[in-house]
Formats: sequence, structure tokens, C-alpha cells
Amino acid sequence: MSKLKTNTIQHTGGSADNITLDNSQNVTAEGNLTVDGNLTVSGTSTISGYNPTSSRNNRNLIINGACNVAQRGTSSTSSNYATVDRFKLNTTGTDEAPTQAQVDVGSSDLPFTKGLTKAYKITNGNQTSGAGSGDRIVIQHRLEAQDIRNSGWNYTSTSSYVTLSFYVKSSVAQNFFGKVKTSDGTSQNYPFETGSLSADTWTKITKTISGNSNLQFDHNNGQGLEIEFTIFRGTDETGSVTLNQWAAFSGSTHTPDNTSTWYTTNDATLEITGVQLEVGSVATDFEHKSYGDELARCQRYYERNTCTWAGYTAASQGNGSLRVYYNTTKRAAATLSVVTAATSVQNLTSQNLGDAKVDGFVVDTRIGSSGYGRFYDLLAASDAEL
Amino acid sequence: MYKLRDSTFQNYQKEVIRKSDGVVIPFDGENTDYQEYLKWVDEGNTAEAAD
Repeated sequence: MSKLKTNTIQHTGGSADNITLDNSQNVTAEGNLTVDGNLTVSGTSTISGYNPTSSRNNRNLIINGACNVAQRGTSSTSSNYATVDRFKLNTTGTDEAPTQAQVDVGSSDLPFTKGLTKAYKITNGNQTSGAGSGDRIVIQHRLEAQDIRNSGWNYTSTSSYVTLSFYVKSSVAQNFFGKVKTSDGTSQNYPFETGSLSADTWTKITKTISGNSNLQFDHNNGQGLEIEFTIFRGTDETGSVTLNQWAAFSGSTHTPDNTSTWYTTNDATLEITGVQLEVGSVATDFEHKSYGDELARCQRYYERNTCTWAGYTAASQGNGSLRVYYNTTKRAAATLSVVTAATSVQNLTSQNLGDAKVDGFVVDTRIGSSGYGRFYDLLAASDAEL
Repeated sequence: MYKLRDSTFQNYQKEVIRKSDGVVIPFDGENTDYQEYLKWVDEGNTAEAAD
């Protein structure tokens, strides 16, 4: 066995050392070090300039980007928030309402191979009168101002970025537009396009968006940023606007004029999943979360609670109240509604929901006559969406 | 379209009922349904009085 004794190693064509050795068993790689195999470090690692972009937790600012949570149901012909949590279907002027649904992603489809097995699907109705100038079918995702302000994005700097990425599939080959819009101060709009999509083919779209000195995000729970996937907007809301740059928002120019092929195709479909918005100029792999973690994030905006109560009065009538505390503190005091009426209602003249606070609400009951009053399994919904 | 509801308990806050679907909207400026109600009032409309 031979031993090489030297203090430095230098490339034959180089002018400086590549590797330096000292008499304390230390080795210094003077330039870049590439390890094709595994790297094992038995001691402490000190890595300056380490940028763990793909392993940083909570980097996805989108809630329910994998479309796994659907507290309200899995299919609906209603607009607004009705199926997949945090995704709002905004429509107007349609002849027949589109259907929104949480659907399975095919096991051989691109998102599935990335661990994304659910999607948000819009199925067009039959728009018999064609594409009207005031018609609209868009998907929106709204984020709180404080969550953008404190995300780590230096949003007033043109050299600081956020990156939006998502998977989309349309049954109709078409270019679609979208936009990112701010709410605080003078509202700013950043329109973008998907590029021409092939029919029935999942495509990953990535948009890197710079900051701008006109952007403002207040430290509050109001709407700060709206991300829109524009399926169709009529010409009342579209026009001359420049893609991929910030400009003051105008309600008459959300995006350039839209192609109407999808909108005028009966039962056309569009699916979206894997939606991610992250600080930085690189689209990292989708950040997967457990169902429980994502549900809790969704419940800041919408939660359902099952309520049961029993009481007694010796008088001819009496009152009772049940305060229900949420699993997750709400963004704001919530709008209350009954999803499913109580069963086994006994001796009660009313059960009213009210007194909404960010941490809960009250079911107010009236007992009609002396004796016991009770109800079981009243399913209440609390909506504090943006 | 809307109907006001008075407090039924001492600590109840004011609320408004949206008659189309019966939901109970709190008087909270950050609630988007309440913001819509205020916009409706600004347009010159008046909610039904409480019972």
C-alpha cells in the first residue's frame, strides 16, 4: 500500500489549488464540491447560505391547495363556497349553473404521481345564449392581508418574489387567464395566462411574481390577496391590460379579452389541484399536509358543529342556552346557519342560533311549558370566509 | 331581504337575518355577509324591524 503525502492538490490546467490539506486531518475543498452519492456527516454541520427551499414547512400560503377538504359537500350547482374548502366559484350571467365538485384524480394522471389525488372540478352548464359581455365563471382563492404581510415576501421590492404553481386540466384546448389582486391601499392587479392547454391533459403552470412599490398588505384579517383562475369573463370585465406585471386594478379590465370556447361548450370541464403560493422565485414540490392539519386551517373560515341540549323548567315556560366553542378560532364573527335540524325535539318552541364570536356561538332555546326540554344533533355551520 | 333581530339575552349582540336563506349575520365589520348588508343599506334599503 502506498501513501500520497502532499499539502495541496491542483488541476493540471488550473492555477490555484483545488484541495488543501493541513497537519490536523482537515481537508478544504477550495471550489464547489459535488457529491454524486450520499454524504454522511458524523460531526456537526455548519452550512452558511443554506437555502432549504423544498423542505421549509408552511411555505404554501394557499389553504387546502390539494383539495382534500370539502366540509360542505362534494358536489353542488351553487356558486360561492360550496364544495372544496377555501375555493370560491364566482359566477354571474349563466343560462345554466355550472357544477362544482371535489373529484378523484386518475391514478395515472400527473398530479396523482405527485401525491395529489383530489381536484376541484367545474363542469359547465349549457350557456344557450352564448358568451354574454356580463357573463362570468371564475375560481377564486382569498388570503388574509396579515398572512401575506408576514409571509417573508418583501412585497414592495421588485427583486423579491412569490411563485404561484398549480396543475390544471381542461376538456377544451384553450388558453386561460388568471390574476392576482391586492385589496389594501390602491388595489393592484397582476394578470397572467396559462398558455395554450391541450384538451384533457394535466399541465403544471408556474408563475413567478415580483414585488412592487405600490403593493400594500395591512396587518389585519381582511382580504389581502385574491388569486383567480379565470374560466371566462365577458368583455364588460376584460380588455387592454398587460400580462405579467402589476398595475392599478380596474373592474373593467381584470384580464385581456377571454376566449369563449370553454364557456360555449356544453358540459366542458376544468379541474385544478396542487395550488401553491410560496415566497421565492422557484416553484418547489407541492407541500403536502395531513388531512387534520389542513382541516384546522380551513376551519378558521368554516366549521360545522353538532349541538345537543337538555334543560328543565318548573314554570309554564323557560329559556335555555348552549354555548358551542369552536375547534378553531374564526377569522371573524361567523354567519350562522342550520345545516340539519335537530332530532328528538321535545317541549321546545324555538332554537335560535346567535351571539357569534370568534370562539363560538349560542343556541338559544325556549321551553314551551313546565318540564324537560331537549334537542339532539342540530348541525350548525359557521361561515367566516373572505 | 333582511330583518333585524334584537337581543334575546343580556349579552347578545345585534344581529341581522338574511331572509332568503335564514342565516344569522353578526354585526362584525370583518364578516363579509355583514359587509354586503351594509352595502345594501348604503344603497338606500332598510331592513325589517325586529319583532
